[in-house]
Amino acid sequence: MRILQPLAYRNGVRIIWEHRQVLRMLVLRDLQKQYTKFRLGYLWTLLEPLGMAVVLWFVFTELLGGRKLGLQPYFLFLAVAILPWWWFSKGVSGAAKTFRRNPALLQMSLLPTKIWVIRVVLVSMAEYLLSLPVILIAMLITRTLPGPLIVLFPVGVIVQFFLMYGLAMLIAAGAAVIPDLARIVRIVLRATFYLSPVLYSIANIPAGAQVIAAINPLVGVLGLYRIGFWPTEIESLPHYGISLGVTVAVFIAGSVVFHRLESRILKGN
Amino acid sequence: MARQRLDPRLAAKLVFDGVGILIPKKKRRQGGGRRHRLRRFAGEQSRTGSWVLRGVSSRIEAGESVAVLGLKNSGRTELLRLAAGTLIPDEGSVMRSDQVLPMIGLGRAFDRGFTVRQNIYLLGGLLGMNPNEVEVALPEIVETAGITSNIDKYLGGASALTRQKLAWTIAMATGANIFAVDEMLVVGDPEFRARCFAHVQHLKTSGATFLVATDVPRKFDGFFDRAIVLHDGGVVADGAFADGLALLRELRLANTATDPTEPKTDPEARPEPEEGF
Repeated sequence: MRILQPLAYRNGVRIIWEHRQVLRMLVLRDLQKQYTKFRLGYLWTLLEPLGMAVVLWFVFTELLGGRKLGLQPYFLFLAVAILPWWWFSKGVSGAAKTFRRNPALLQMSLLPTKIWVIRVVLVSMAEYLLSLPVILIAMLITRTLPGPLIVLFPVGVIVQFFLMYGLAMLIAAGAAVIPDLARIVRIVLRATFYLSPVLYSIANIPAGAQVIAAINPLVGVLGLYRIGFWPTEIESLPHYGISLGVTVAVFIAGSVVFHRLESRILKGN
Repeated sequence: MARQRLDPRLAAKLVFDGVGILIPKKKRRQGGGRRHRLRRFAGEQSRTGSWVLRGVSSRIEAGESVAVLGLKNSGRTELLRLAAGTLIPDEGSVMRSDQVLPMIGLGRAFDRGFTVRQNIYLLGGLLGMNPNEVEVALPEIVETAGITSNIDKYLGGASALTRQKLAWTIAMATGANIFAVDEMLVVGDPEFRARCFAHVQHLKTSGATFLVATDVPRKFDGFFDRAIVLHDGGVVADGAFADGLALLRELRLANTATDPTEPKTDPEARPEPEEGF
């Protein structure tokens, strides 16, 4: 792992710092464009995940209330996981379109190619951070307060950022070479929603399957978010460990693949 | 710039050393079909891709103005992109002693959904300026480009001419010293063109280096010191501008005789397209 690290890994993080001003501009412009497009603007960032949480809560407690899923209060349980899921899904589907959105930019941009990937990730991350009040609303409705382990919440944000960055590099580079990947991503994304512990807790899965389920890097990320509210989740710590290991692997793979395919990406389609 | 590996010790401004670029084959190509298959059968085109450029070597010295001539799809844009570092060669290497500014399709980088001001920051940023530098240059850019309306209005409605002028002005405001220019050495209406030409000539006398791809080299009489003619993926001539021009004429004549898709008329006789980039 140490051998792979230097070139791709270090550059990937340094680029963000070196080009922070341009990145800030790009991200703010993208957000502004999104928020001025609709009448309700920023409110949609709250309403969309809130609506989804309400629908899922209704279906899984009122309609299919027979089997106990997740942890109580279920509405908060859903809200805490749906927001990062939203980030994940927006980031991944955005990554597939990164180099198709404006191929002309690649002809003349002197910025590192990775900037376009980072932009997509940062925009989806900014939207996520802006949607966090949804959790506060859910806490208010369910009258629940988090414990001291909530300090792991920001750690979750950082881990998810690197997961998204790695995945986005992988997908953006892949989609630039194989256009069909954008379609495949959509299907895989749908499956990932049900395979990730968004609606349920990893503890709900049969014990034998838990290790396999933990290969999903979202398990660890969602665990870090939830542990502050449900300290019992700490029992699944080994699984979070596996999952975070996969996150590191995804990041390294993304860096290496992007580096390898960069010249091909620049040629466009 | 991260993209451009610079070597300040290099004596020349730009050195191409056996550069080749392989463009992968597209799945669907316009006007494909039988003719395409025949070409592949004849070995003119491989299944995996085609070499747009191969074995290109050249040195561009400081202060030179070099015209890159050739027919359509002869790899002129690719050569410029290689010079600027926005394309990575599959073979050989490109070395530069200073940052090369790509003036390639700049107008397409603009975003209609942004205001004029935001677009200036955007394009400036893409060309390596940081927002503070753009802020300093902003009043001059707006004045030179002749934008009279409110710059906080959306660019969407602006005419192609305005966008061209804006792109050109921003590129000039970067303060670059080496330019890789694709068809946009001079832009805009005739009056603005004259000003552009005066400006680039002034830059030239003060030591700037130009690498310019153009379909109408005759328009810039006296500007170029040298011409590189590209044909069939390689350099067929690299020398005096007049010789390059003569060779280009021959190539064009030979091409109109054999390839029916190429327009019969001399491109230089045609009126110039409004949106040339």
